[in-house]
Amino acid sequence: MSAILEVRDLRVRYSAGKEVLKGINFTVRSDDFLAIIGPSGSGKSTLIRCVNRLVEPNAGEILFEGRDLLRLGESEMRAARRNIGMIFQEFNLIERLSVIDNVLTGRLGYTGTWRSLFRAYTRDDIRNAIRLLDRVGLIEHLDKRADQLSGGQRQRVGIARALIQDPKMLLVDEPTSSLDPKIAREVMGLIREIAREFGVPVLCNIHDVNLALEYCTRVIGLQDGIKRFDGAPAEIDKRVLADIYAMETL
Amino acid sequence: MRAGAADLTAYDLHADQISAWRNRSRRMRYGTYFMVAALIAWSVEAIVIGDTDWDRISWASMFKSARQFMDVDFSILGSLLTPAIETALMATLGTLLGLVLAVPVAWLGAANISPLGKFSYAFGRALMTMSRSVHELVWALIFVAAVGLGALAGVLAMGIRSIGFISKTVAEAIEDVNPGPVEAMRAVGANRFQVLLFGILPQVIPVFIGNVIFEWDVNIRRSTIMGLVGAGGLGLALHRQMSAYNYGGVATVLLVILLLIIAGEIASYLARRAVI
Repeated sequence: MSAILEVRDLRVRYSAGKEVLKGINFTVRSDDFLAIIGPSGSGKSTLIRCVNRLVEPNAGEILFEGRDLLRLGESEMRAARRNIGMIFQEFNLIERLSVIDNVLTGRLGYTGTWRSLFRAYTRDDIRNAIRLLDRVGLIEHLDKRADQLSGGQRQRVGIARALIQDPKMLLVDEPTSSLDPKIAREVMGLIREIAREFGVPVLCNIHDVNLALEYCTRVIGLQDGIKRFDGAPAEIDKRVLADIYAMETL
Repeated sequence: MRAGAADLTAYDLHADQISAWRNRSRRMRYGTYFMVAALIAWSVEAIVIGDTDWDRISWASMFKSARQFMDVDFSILGSLLTPAIETALMATLGTLLGLVLAVPVAWLGAANISPLGKFSYAFGRALMTMSRSVHELVWALIFVAAVGLGALAGVLAMGIRSIGFISKTVAEAIEDVNPGPVEAMRAVGANRFQVLLFGILPQVIPVFIGNVIFEWDVNIRRSTIMGLVGAGGLGLALHRQMSAYNYGGVATVLLVILLLIIAGEIASYLARRAVI
């Protein structure tokens, strides 16, 4: 399969001077479910946020479908973001909006400012939102306010919001950290099913190594802003983990 | 028994330092108390004792004046209905005007979304301060001069006076929003206005509505005195009764004002309960 995303020599330095990413290279192929693992502070979250430029990198290239995202102007970048869905650790729903309105915000990139002011989404969008909510199992919660849902249900809303963008890739930032272990597995399972069903590759940050090994097809290990591992889950053994997590057992 | 010389030095030196510092701060404190007391005594002497015509005041005269207000003049009650309604409407329109004007000011004065960075932030904050630092009666005087006598001047005065409080509280709420939804809206490719509309507005709307209701409540009070400077409403009736030395009539107007404020209090309680 061809590469949809290619990251070359990506560097990020925060204003305090500490270099968070020190030249990262990797590719995401169009059938990948790629996990990024690594200890806290290793730069996982920064890396994933660089892809849609929620964090601005200092140097490097991010080729998405062959186009360098770092060279795009503001409106071109907004258009590019429509193709990249994102699922967040804390769900980042608009608490006071209904479930379906939350899903529909995923269409804002395709909706004009005036239409969005009156939440005048197209009929197709509304139909699609209902279909996706049914797909993630929330059809009967459609009209509830987002803050009335449980954590697992909120994450499903987040998944539907990303899918309604009609994305070509999904960025997933610690999808399970705010959930209990059982719900976490359900959510990971749902993301994997949906990725296959919609044919979208996934780039997923995850600190839980067991979940990464179980659900992902490829793993990148990050430590202190440097890539330490890139390969199949089967290749990961104690020695690799010790290297990534710099555990003092060895 | 005395401790050895070595033990003495470090601890005792430290203890001496602390107690010396405490003595100093105690002296400072009592000095401050004394100065504040002296300042209060001087103020009372200068502006109350020296400046009051004590010969005019006696128990008899005080009782007599108070007695005049007791003869509530119900004959003017009918003529107060229109000014009372005008007062309530003036407060409502003034609040609506303030609400509309406060939105752009809050946008300018919220550090995280201000369109031109520090420059527009400082401008927004300056507008807020200007609105609040001028008394509503002074705003009313300015607008009476500008648009003439009548309720319009009162509406404009309260509108301008309301901007400060509403926009300041809303701007601070905007600065405190949870950044998660903002990030999510940016990630779906929303433009700046859409990020404001969906990422920020839903989070600040409860603060906004709550403060608008509060400001409306305050504006009802304000609008009852707007008439004193010619800006319409019950204040004008109050002024007329005072000029005519009709103390019974003054009492009637004050009673109507009281009723209006109680009504406003109830209405704002109900509104708050319905909305929030």
